Amino acid sequence: MDESEDVPKDFIKLKSEKLSVDEVSELVISPNCGAVSLFIGTTRNNFEGKKVIHLEYEAYTSMAEMEIKKICRDVRQKWPSVKHIAMHHRLGVVPITEASVIIAVSSPHRTESLEAVTYCINTLKAFVPIWKKEIYEDEYSWKENKECFWANSEK
Amino acid sequence: MVTVLYFARSAELAGLRSESVSVPQRITSLQLWEEIVKIHPRLAVIRDQVIFAVQQEYVFLGDQLLVLQTGDEVAIIPPISGG
Repeated sequence: MDESEDVPKDFIKLKSEKLSVDEVSELVISPNCGAVSLFIGTTRNNFEGKKVIHLEYEAYTSMAEMEIKKICRDVRQKWPSVKHIAMHHRLGVVPITEASVIIAVSSPHRTESLEAVTYCINTLKAFVPIWKKEIYEDEYSWKENKECFWANSEK
Repeated sequence: MVTVLYFARSAELAGLRSESVSVPQRITSLQLWEEIVKIHPRLAVIRDQVIFAVQQEYVFLGDQLLVLQTGDEVAIIPPISGG
């Protein structure tokens, strides 16, 4: 790898194909980083006793990418030693046990990347315009994150 | 004329994903909501859960005065569930 090209980068992708943990973690690897921290969100097969057949995701794609860019910018302000950030989110149908989101962050030492990954997933759930529909055997339900930044706010 | 985008439950209630809507250039966000509900009355049930995104900036339904240009994007944002 050409050292002069190893500037901090954000890798943001919304796509309907299966996500790859190998691909996302390799994006953030860096010669001067000793830590890569990873979060994978996978689909569960049940909710409140109901069997979940699969999930479907949709997004306001252009705004979602912008909101994810803002998260990356915030991460770099809070943890300046963070090197690369990758956030991949799947759209469309996601079968049970497959990943709907993968987040990877690299940093020289582990504390920053571990904290940054936590911040990324928590903030994504609060601010990024992506919606999940749970499909059960007889019905479906649009989910609502409890982290949603305007949930329960006075109108 | 602004472009209104509907997502998730709001798209199901309105029956479409986007359309051009004619609204005054200066309008509060609550008035804008009321204009849209006139066209799609079924949206009324989600009034307390949604916010707007105007030119991809979040806006609460309320007294905030919007200055809209032709072609601006106004999105109805039901409670989000990414991740």
